[in-house]
Amino acid sequence: MFRRQLSFRLEDSDHDAYGLRMNRRYSRVESGGDLKDYFDRGDIASRENRWTFEIAWEVANKVGGIYTVIRSKAYVSTEEMGEQLCLMGPYKEHCARTEMEEIEFPRGNPLLDAVNSLRSRGYKIHTGRWLVDGNPQLILFDIGSGAWKLDQFKSELWDKCHIGVPHLDVESNDAIILGFMIAEYLEEFRRCASEYSQANDLQVPRIVAHFHEWQAGVGLIALRTRHVEIATVFTTHATLLGRYLCAGNTDFYNNLDKFAVDEEAGKRQIYHRYCLERAATHLSHVFTTVSEITGYEAEHLLKRKPDIITPNGLNVKKFSAIHEFQNLHAMAKEKINEFVRGHFYGHMDFDLDKTLYFFIAGRYEFGNKGADIFIESLARLNAMLKQEKPDTTVVAFLIFPTKTNNFNVDSLRGHAVVKQLRDTINGVQQGIGKRLFDSCLKGHIPGPDELLTKDDLVKIKRCMYALQRDSMPPVTTHNIVDDWNDPVLGAIRRCQLFNTVHDRVKMVFHPEFLTSTNPLFGIDYEEFVRGCHLGVFPSYYEPWGYTPAECTVMGIPSITTNLSGFGCFMEEHISDPKSYGIYIVDRRYIGLENSIQQLASYMMDFSRLNRRQRIIQRNRTERLSDLLDWRTLGIYYRQSRVKALQAVYPDYVDESSLYSSRSNLNFSRPFSEPPSPSSSRHTTPAPSVHGSDEEDSVDEETELKELGIK
Amino acid sequence: MSKFAWVTLTTNDTYSLGALVLAHSLRRAGTVHQLAVLVTPGVSESMREKLKDVYNVVQEVNIMDSQDAANLALLSRPELGITFTKLHCWRLVQFEKCVFLDSDTLVLQNCDELFEREEFSAAPDVSWPDCFNSGVFVFQPSQTTYDKIVEFALKNGSFDGGDQGLLNQYFADWATSDIKKRLPFLYNVTAYASYCYLPAFKQFRDKIKILHFAGKMKPWLMHYNSQSKVASVPSDYSHANDLIQMWWNIFFDHVHAQLNTNMAGLAGALSQLRLGEPRTPEQEAYEHLMRRQCWESGQVDYMGRDSFDNIWKRITQTLENKPADDDKTGGSSAATSTIHNVNNAHGFSTPAHMH
Repeated sequence: MFRRQLSFRLEDSDHDAYGLRMNRRYSRVESGGDLKDYFDRGDIASRENRWTFEIAWEVANKVGGIYTVIRSKAYVSTEEMGEQLCLMGPYKEHCARTEMEEIEFPRGNPLLDAVNSLRSRGYKIHTGRWLVDGNPQLILFDIGSGAWKLDQFKSELWDKCHIGVPHLDVESNDAIILGFMIAEYLEEFRRCASEYSQANDLQVPRIVAHFHEWQAGVGLIALRTRHVEIATVFTTHATLLGRYLCAGNTDFYNNLDKFAVDEEAGKRQIYHRYCLERAATHLSHVFTTVSEITGYEAEHLLKRKPDIITPNGLNVKKFSAIHEFQNLHAMAKEKINEFVRGHFYGHMDFDLDKTLYFFIAGRYEFGNKGADIFIESLARLNAMLKQEKPDTTVVAFLIFPTKTNNFNVDSLRGHAVVKQLRDTINGVQQGIGKRLFDSCLKGHIPGPDELLTKDDLVKIKRCMYALQRDSMPPVTTHNIVDDWNDPVLGAIRRCQLFNTVHDRVKMVFHPEFLTSTNPLFGIDYEEFVRGCHLGVFPSYYEPWGYTPAECTVMGIPSITTNLSGFGCFMEEHISDPKSYGIYIVDRRYIGLENSIQQLASYMMDFSRLNRRQRIIQRNRTERLSDLLDWRTLGIYYRQSRVKALQAVYPDYVDESSLYSSRSNLNFSRPFSEPPSPSSSRHTTPAPSVHGSDEEDSVDEETELKELGIK
Repeated sequence: MSKFAWVTLTTNDTYSLGALVLAHSLRRAGTVHQLAVLVTPGVSESMREKLKDVYNVVQEVNIMDSQDAANLALLSRPELGITFTKLHCWRLVQFEKCVFLDSDTLVLQNCDELFEREEFSAAPDVSWPDCFNSGVFVFQPSQTTYDKIVEFALKNGSFDGGDQGLLNQYFADWATSDIKKRLPFLYNVTAYASYCYLPAFKQFRDKIKILHFAGKMKPWLMHYNSQSKVASVPSDYSHANDLIQMWWNIFFDHVHAQLNTNMAGLAGALSQLRLGEPRTPEQEAYEHLMRRQCWESGQVDYMGRDSFDNIWKRITQTLENKPADDDKTGGSSAATSTIHNVNNAHGFSTPAHMH
């Protein structure tokens, strides 16, 4: 009775006081370090005559993960800096044509003066706006138009830094051209802006340029070695050498402090790139990485500790209805159910209401993404479930694109026969309805034999026989090229997870990206994630990890590791991540076997939750999305820019932070004080942290109690 | 005058250094035959002058200029153009028989007996002995043969994209037909250690007739100390240390004095070196250029002078050297101007046909 009442109150407060509660919960954030407080569309920046440039190879050029970072951040950056911000990158026609609206900068704007000045030097420059949220200003440089100066640029680089670049490395040569063009532009812009400011009696212009990754880093090197007085920030999203070392199955983290970095880079033929990266790292005024773990990597491989950690955020879309994401989960789950019915036809002896969907997804890097320990732990989970909860089934999806020879016949056939059965039954159903109606119209209630004719029964029986199968449901949906050497299939064979009737863990390896045109699923990746119960990402090497972050904002709990940037971030900012549906496997301080056991036990813990507990957990997970929003995380980018500005212009005072009377700029832990019970509460249910806020605390308590976390 | 000739090919001033040393090594070995060199437009005028001093014939080859049908056909396949520069040797019909030598070869002993061989004689390639190496071969100039090979090439291409693949396809029966056409390996010994049977190299080194610096590392790219006149040889060439030193000795006895600053590439830089004197800015500029050249061909001494510590030292120097007090004097700016000079000529690109 008591419990019911409480739960009623929970629902109630969820609906009515949600907005209010959110405010209270994040009140600290809102007053302290939320980027939203600086959203003035560049008003203050323009009064301060402060200009920001952000440079990356991926600006309006969809070639890698950093594209997502830059693109999703564009909105908050323009909200903050408006026309005082400009993104720069290479002009790649096929991308720019769809992503960029070409516009000239307005007359009298120093941005335009500098563009014209560079054009007169023979460079082709495209200016305009990026067609993404926020619509930021864009300058794209045509690399071909600067190619004739490559030798001169390389000589300058050689002369000033003693770094040479091989003729054959086209990518590096392109990066050199772009870098020097950008440096020339910024140099020129600084001159134009100074002249303009003098003419109009403005303050001295203050310019900060933020460079991402080594390709753009060339521009930073050029700028600094030409002694241009511009504040610089350099961000690595993962070190070059780290990527190479991890691709080679080295015991990376245990040897991180022991690598002879020059030699390792030299052996892998990336010495020149590594030198560019490391030089940019050391030349920048402020150096940042995307996570603690990458910071640790940079400290040892690039020999500089990051000044600030700038985690990657997401552009979180808020639904107007509060529990919309729960409804979306239910709808998407139904679509996955549909797939499972087809895939496991003839073996549908398990209850879909007691089935959990786990998934892992990403680039197909077997070891780095932790697919190895995932499969191993699934085998153990299988054993545990058989013993403890034989009515629960876990279907594990592995979404890793690799080379295939299209779908395999068996998985397509399953969907066909299930559809046939459904169509037949629909027909029979209509027939019954018609007969029932006609008969009732005559005032006669039909008996069962009259409703279901013999003909119908025969049809149904035929369909059911078609559903029988001798084979077991396939572990993969596609014919994989060279399947004998495929690491995932190898691991599945070794663990004997063959989808037998007795197995409580079923495997589905889907070696292709999910699209809505996919004949098996017919849903895209986002919808698929929404429909799953748990994302499992036990990565070994994962500088940031967008996949678990995406799960979180959709309200889907996930398992990650303390070697992934995301895991580190969550561990640092939430005192008890587990209670928020973020399970963090330790892959750093304990042995491999222990990590596997821990992962298996986390999955088992999750499988023990009942439906209601899972709903509450999803609610709690979804609440973290504010933490991952660029509106919150953008503050770190702001901090790094301010720090760089202060390094170059010692008299620079961050006025906007004075305005709001904020003294703690190094606000690094928006969640340092736990909104969830701190560890002491594991033993004693203590009064709420929010003291006066009774309702909220009851609510939190209830939730946690219901989750079985006390 | 002899109707026989040694023929080589050079595509830029840097490779011409090799051609000059090769010519002197042939003269040293006392050949009685003529010397001919094919040059492409990439070779500067002043370098051609110097080549004329040692070669009886300096013949420009330029597919763009010629009018015959085979060449016109070639124009449609520009990627094959560079491959075919070497084939132009068949058009030297003023000679009865020729021996082709790559410009990165060095003749150690008189080899005039090669002219007793027939077309097409060559030595096996170390990494696939059923193919010949096209760095040294005996042939008989003939416009007909030339046309046939070009026609063959247009039809079949080259399996390795270079002239060696093409010639091996065209003279496909070389390995099996006539043992006399198979030159002893001593006429084309590859100097690179990983291709080399070291005990055999030691055993037969005095019998080597022609040494071939196949691969990326050329003697002119190796570091040479102008003060002590000693070349510092990379470890994978250490077995051939004295032979590389011999290359440099010939270079400085006969070639170096002939170079001038009008030449492009390494030749121009080397011309400024003074021998046996204390280090000068020119020497440093040259070493500078050599180091950059090594980087650009992917050979970085990352464990030694190119370590990141040294790079950072240089960067720190640059940072300290503010532009305000940089008044364009002193050694560093001299070095800069030399480098700019060199770059314009694209002196360092490695032509595909060099084996």
